[in-house]
Amino acid sequence: MRVKLKNVFIVYFVVSLVGLLCALLQLGQPCDCSQQIQAERRRGRERLRAEQRNGGARGEPRAEDGGQALPTIYVVTPTYARPVQKAELVRLSQTLLHVRALHWVVVEDAAAPTALVSRLLATSGVPFTHLHAETPPESRRRPGDPPWLHPRGAEQRNRALRWLRDTRAPGDGGVVYFADDDNTYSVRLFEEMRSTRLVSVWPVGLVGGLRLERPLVAGGRVVGFHTGWKPERPFPMDMAGFAVALPLLLERPQALFDPRAERGYLESSLLGALVSPEQLEPKADNCTQVLVWHTRTEKPKLRQEEQLQREGRGSDPHIEV
Amino acid sequence: MDDGGDSQRDLAAGLDSKEYCLSERDIVEVVRTEYVYTRPPPWSDTLPTIHVITPTYSRPVQKAELTRLANTLLHVPNLHWILVEDSQRRTPLITRLLRDTGLNYTHLNVETPRNYKLRGDMRDPRIPRGTMQRNLALRWLRETFHKNSSQPGIVYFADDDNTYSLELFEEMRSTRKVSVWPVAFVGGLRYESPRVNAAGKVYGWKTVFDPHRPFAIDMAGFAVNLRLILHRPQAYFKLRGVKGGYQESSLLRELVTLNDLEPKAANCTKILVWHTRTEKPVLVNEGKKGFTDPNVEI
Repeated sequence: MRVKLKNVFIVYFVVSLVGLLCALLQLGQPCDCSQQIQAERRRGRERLRAEQRNGGARGEPRAEDGGQALPTIYVVTPTYARPVQKAELVRLSQTLLHVRALHWVVVEDAAAPTALVSRLLATSGVPFTHLHAETPPESRRRPGDPPWLHPRGAEQRNRALRWLRDTRAPGDGGVVYFADDDNTYSVRLFEEMRSTRLVSVWPVGLVGGLRLERPLVAGGRVVGFHTGWKPERPFPMDMAGFAVALPLLLERPQALFDPRAERGYLESSLLGALVSPEQLEPKADNCTQVLVWHTRTEKPKLRQEEQLQREGRGSDPHIEV
Repeated sequence: MDDGGDSQRDLAAGLDSKEYCLSERDIVEVVRTEYVYTRPPPWSDTLPTIHVITPTYSRPVQKAELTRLANTLLHVPNLHWILVEDSQRRTPLITRLLRDTGLNYTHLNVETPRNYKLRGDMRDPRIPRGTMQRNLALRWLRETFHKNSSQPGIVYFADDDNTYSLELFEEMRSTRKVSVWPVAFVGGLRYESPRVNAAGKVYGWKTVFDPHRPFAIDMAGFAVNLRLILHRPQAYFKLRGVKGGYQESSLLRELVTLNDLEPKAANCTKILVWHTRTEKPVLVNEGKKGFTDPNVEI
């Protein structure tokens, strides 16, 4: 049968018309979305008001998707007193303030909570829990010890794990991330880790003597690790390079950091009790993007300060730095 | 302004008032995208704009520094970030970073001339780092804003490795000419600070290093009203022949006298900015040929 051009046009026209009619019929369908729309408007207004009141703080986590709360990210930060401590915590808090449904667990290496950290947390605008755990004397760094001699922060991170296990219910969702106070975190990193089912991993910049360390991913699974330092470790990655699902930590109450772990094995001491490397979930675009950097802050030169203090003319100690 | 840099984000995006039926998925998606990347606070017609001038140069920690600085600046209302690269061309890394922040920004560049006679192709050491970049930003401001413009603005020089409290930006917003405050970790001290008398006037400098400088203050310790910048078009940072620690004076002496300085931060008794410095990362395992994929941006 010969196909006439005229027929082709007619068929095309009819099909388009039918399609258009279907689309038009979809619009204006009666449905009761008014409640949703009003609820959205109300939430939006409250958010605006809260933001204007708080001068930029992002407020409480919002419910979405029919009332299911967003998994909370518990950010565990060990910290210790030194001149740059306040500066580090201030700029870290400014990043965390951008992340919804986040709870900051700050653990001081101290015999008691300090006024400096208490005040800082209270005014930061970030939901927080303030804990403390003192590193035992034998594990403490002595002047002259290289920084890597004793793993740092193990007791403090374990204290946070204990708090989570004491206060969170087995049904609670959530993700736990160990964030040191001198690293640099992009806001996007936190959204990547939010979907962690067991343990998720991603690259870390400026660590291990390299531009970046990262898990190697093939077919959406972790098949190895790209690192230049001690690659024989079970989990050759930095503390900033993984997050753990809260339910997993609650299921395995024995899983803790080992304060006596050999240098570089602290992460493995926890992760080995939680997952095998094949179970790791790669994030950050199959571990090709750097969303966190292992920055370190210089120790400030305080020579003139020390000299003045020797002369009894040091700066006003009441002015908090 | 480059690349739009429109700072206004319509927070009412989630408040669509159209009455037709939105599916549940539509409402949730609109709201979700609003939060995946943060947005600055809504622009206000009454607040003076703070023009933050940041010189920057390429090195391994650059992206990290600018990321965390952007995270700070995103909290500040009516902020305009002027980022000036020390480079021959504006780099893709910075272009992408600025675009992704959502901040109101201007992206400039000027290369500090290299001194090829020095080993290692160093930049000319007679020109303090960041000077040409800050001066370019001042020139940009003078070319962009008319002298009699009624748009109030404050100019602040913020290096990319310092730490800034949010309170600092609100303190400087009321600057009439030049305001000053203490800075931590400079001059070998816990902090350096202006000396303020009972009448609230600055009469000297609490520093050990050369306290007799005209303005013994760090770059991070002062802000200038935009009007003053525009009315004194010859005021720039001196390029050459500047002794260490006199950079700030080379600009400020063209703008104000000691008497005109406005002390902030509770009469200069609070620390709201820290002169932190970031360690140069150890990249020893990269070796000569490089170990990691150079196409992965850090």
